[in-house]
Amino acid sequence: MSGYLAYIAKRLLQFVLVVFIGINLAYVITHATPIDPVEQSISAVTSFGNTAPEAIEQMRISLRELYGLEGSALQQYLLFWKRILRADFGPSMSAFPTPVATLIARALPWTTGLLVVSTVVAWVLGNWLGGLAGYYQKSRGLKLLGVIAMGLHPIPYYILALLLLIVFGFLWPVLPISGGSAMNLPQAWTWAFAASVLQHATLPALSLILIGVGSWFLGMRSLVSNVVTEDYVIYAELAGVDSRRVLSSYVMRNALVPQVTGLAISLGGIFNGAVITEKVFGYPGVGSLLVDAVYAGDYGLVLGVTTISIIGVSIGVLVIDLLYPLLDPRVKVS
Amino acid sequence: MSRIRALLVLALCVLAPQLFLSRSSSAQGIPQNIPRKELLILENPEGTIKNAGWFNIWAINAGSQSNGLQQAALDTLWYIDPESGLDGVWDNSLAADKPQYNADFTEMTAKLRKGIFWSDGVEFTADDVISTVMTQIKNPGMRFSAVLASNVASVDALDPYTVVFKLKKPNSRFHANFTVRWNAIWIMPKHVFEKVADPSKFDFNKPVSLGAYVLNSYDPDGKWYIWQLRDDWQRTTLARFGKPGPKYLAYVDPGPPDKRVIAQLNHELDVIHDIAPEGMFALAKQSKSTVAWFKGFPYGHPDPTLPAVIFNDQNEMFKNRDVRWALALLIDIKAVAMAAYRGAATISAIGVPPTGTHPATYHQPMEEWLKGFEIDTGKRTIKPYDPTVGKQIADLLRPSMGEQIPSDPKEIARAFGMGWWKPDPRVAQELLERAGYSRRNGAWLMPDGKPFTIRVMVEGDLRPVMTRAGTMIVQQWKQAGIDAKIDVAQGTLPTRRAAGDFDTFIGWSVETWGGHQDLSYFMDSWHSQFVAEPGKPQPARNWQRWASPALDKIIEQTRSVGFDDPKSIELGKDYVKLAVQEMPTIPLMAYNVFTAMDQTYWTGYPTSENPYTDPVPNWGNSRAMFVKLKPAN
Repeated sequence: MSGYLAYIAKRLLQFVLVVFIGINLAYVITHATPIDPVEQSISAVTSFGNTAPEAIEQMRISLRELYGLEGSALQQYLLFWKRILRADFGPSMSAFPTPVATLIARALPWTTGLLVVSTVVAWVLGNWLGGLAGYYQKSRGLKLLGVIAMGLHPIPYYILALLLLIVFGFLWPVLPISGGSAMNLPQAWTWAFAASVLQHATLPALSLILIGVGSWFLGMRSLVSNVVTEDYVIYAELAGVDSRRVLSSYVMRNALVPQVTGLAISLGGIFNGAVITEKVFGYPGVGSLLVDAVYAGDYGLVLGVTTISIIGVSIGVLVIDLLYPLLDPRVKVS
Repeated sequence: MSRIRALLVLALCVLAPQLFLSRSSSAQGIPQNIPRKELLILENPEGTIKNAGWFNIWAINAGSQSNGLQQAALDTLWYIDPESGLDGVWDNSLAADKPQYNADFTEMTAKLRKGIFWSDGVEFTADDVISTVMTQIKNPGMRFSAVLASNVASVDALDPYTVVFKLKKPNSRFHANFTVRWNAIWIMPKHVFEKVADPSKFDFNKPVSLGAYVLNSYDPDGKWYIWQLRDDWQRTTLARFGKPGPKYLAYVDPGPPDKRVIAQLNHELDVIHDIAPEGMFALAKQSKSTVAWFKGFPYGHPDPTLPAVIFNDQNEMFKNRDVRWALALLIDIKAVAMAAYRGAATISAIGVPPTGTHPATYHQPMEEWLKGFEIDTGKRTIKPYDPTVGKQIADLLRPSMGEQIPSDPKEIARAFGMGWWKPDPRVAQELLERAGYSRRNGAWLMPDGKPFTIRVMVEGDLRPVMTRAGTMIVQQWKQAGIDAKIDVAQGTLPTRRAAGDFDTFIGWSVETWGGHQDLSYFMDSWHSQFVAEPGKPQPARNWQRWASPALDKIIEQTRSVGFDDPKSIELGKDYVKLAVQEMPTIPLMAYNVFTAMDQTYWTGYPTSENPYTDPVPNWGNSRAMFVKLKPAN
């Protein structure tokens, strides 16, 4: 037991270190960007409208003060960490004075809802079917599934998403092609709203699942194909163990370990959002927020999203590290 | 295996009702509970608004502007229409008359309309105008604080309907700040903002309207906004032109260009703000109900904005006018028009957009001067202007576009522009040689012996039309032996443009009223007093950082004459001549906006045949459309 506690302590220390280094890197990179949020704001104001040049100079000074860009680099860095420790990312510069946390909190439920469901569904379906295909190698139906998965897997995501849009949005317009819910429908805990959210999520989720299933399917099928040749599987089959038990307890369980790691990293990564999905389907979420923030030079918002993402991925990996000994006795022994 | 099949069937059973369930609502992008025939759906080109619940337009970039807020809900003293206007280009909106200046332009008086009310029933008076000015002066971080603080010494009400601005220095164009050309200083409701501790941090949600529409609902995720016609719309300034047709307006983010096309083909997006030329061609081909500014090719509305090759004139290699002219003569504008707009461009050789009233005021009267304009290379003298380039573009397009291409010279000039500079590599060579440049092994070297390398900055996929133009120009310069390179700046362009971190870029530093002769809208900012030192941020719009004593003189004379004074036209022509001689930027074409309008539910959109306003729906001026639209049968 003490060995397991030491293992946990080591992993926790690694977690803290990874998060610290990750956030610092994000800070350095965002501040090294050539985009100046003040100039972006001024550009947005003066792109349209008649603003006298001398007024723009005054505006430049006011905005630097307003956005908190005054002070030395060290002062700004210390202020940043002071805020991070209070889970406060400060105000967004491209949506001033709204706090970054408010913007992220508004976008995150859409992203997590869509990506958790589609990631888990793709993972379960892909691994389940991939496991079956690897074990029942002579099944014609599963062979066909393998062909479909191999066909879907290399299609660039954008192309698949566009195809779905054209088929279900134009040729056979049965599904919404934009937004998270129907226009003019209050966001409330009602059946109408829930049904609308489901409808609007169908196409983006389908696009993610189709691409995801193919990837998990192929990975699992090749893992299972290797495991079935192991001595312990052959011995179990020769000993007359029921084939379903061989598949679930002897084959799948062993083959799943790397897939579970992949799932954890995918789930951690959902806090980055799915930029292309959000853009193509006009789906609200963190990905679009991040891209817009990069273009606007909104350091605060970029750092807010990346910090949450770094913590998300790190927690995902940590949880898997902690669960490994339970899943795989070999890790426990070592 | 039978269990697997059973599970697959089960999965299908779960998914199928989902599809059928959604089939019942085939009107997928239509707001719920609003009759479609009462609703106009327009694109908000700002996209998804991340701070959707923010309606305080007087705060800098805090929320959306063109989500209907400035088009439907706000109002200000005057409007100038970029086209012909509902009742002439000049519109006294909240003002009862044109601005009155004293003799030395240090005082401006605005008479206000009576009987105009905010949507909460409070009457609009001079107090609102004064509050708009003073609130922003007292709060330096607000959108118009700086411009008001630098101009206004005091503002007072002589009576509830008369406001007098005393200015810190003479300014014959001060009213331009309260005159809509896309936007302006919108009037703020005093009775709302006076109760707020910090106006720059107040969200103004729910907004109180002075325009004909009030907010009905909005998406907290920023995808759509719905506005509803006020019950008391007669108490707004728009009522002078009749009752607005649509009872509801929805400003939406329809997504990328291909989705906008799909949405309009599905009749779920009445007005597309802008799409790539290919999208416009697809709509023209596939949708019988879609109309654009021009009935046929080139479809798009030429905005009063002038894309150009903008040199960094502080850069040593462009300081010599001969070099700038040589680069202009290495451009084949026909190829640029084809690359950028697939030919659907309206070219301009002079530094004024070929749109609105400008062709009649500047382009046509200056045609003879342009034809006679000469360049002396030191070895010979040539006349570089070719008045037939617009016609040549039309002729190029006619075989593929057929009858869509006009044959009447006037129509050709209106659609494709008039003339441009003849490509002349030999003259370009002589000009470069006179400037001390030399050619070795086919490549041009600068006077210091270094390769003549030019980076042409473009925005990439953020502005594909300009990027295509830049790419074609790079290709043409390369063919002439110049080491030209495309420099894709994406979102860094505004920062780099302000910092002067570019050799050249494809963009614009010329924007005009369109419907009015006065060029000071952009020209005043070209005065050398505003040119920043190299390395320091440059205020808009003189991105080329060009300083010219001759131009300063023109600007100073313009400042001393009234806005409507015919002398301003002569001064405008002087600017055009100077800009042709000096070539501080190479004007290319108007910024054509492919606004596509679906007539399935509404008719009466503005077009070149009925040009009562600019159809581009993010302009504040586009409110004129609301009173002209009628339900389709």
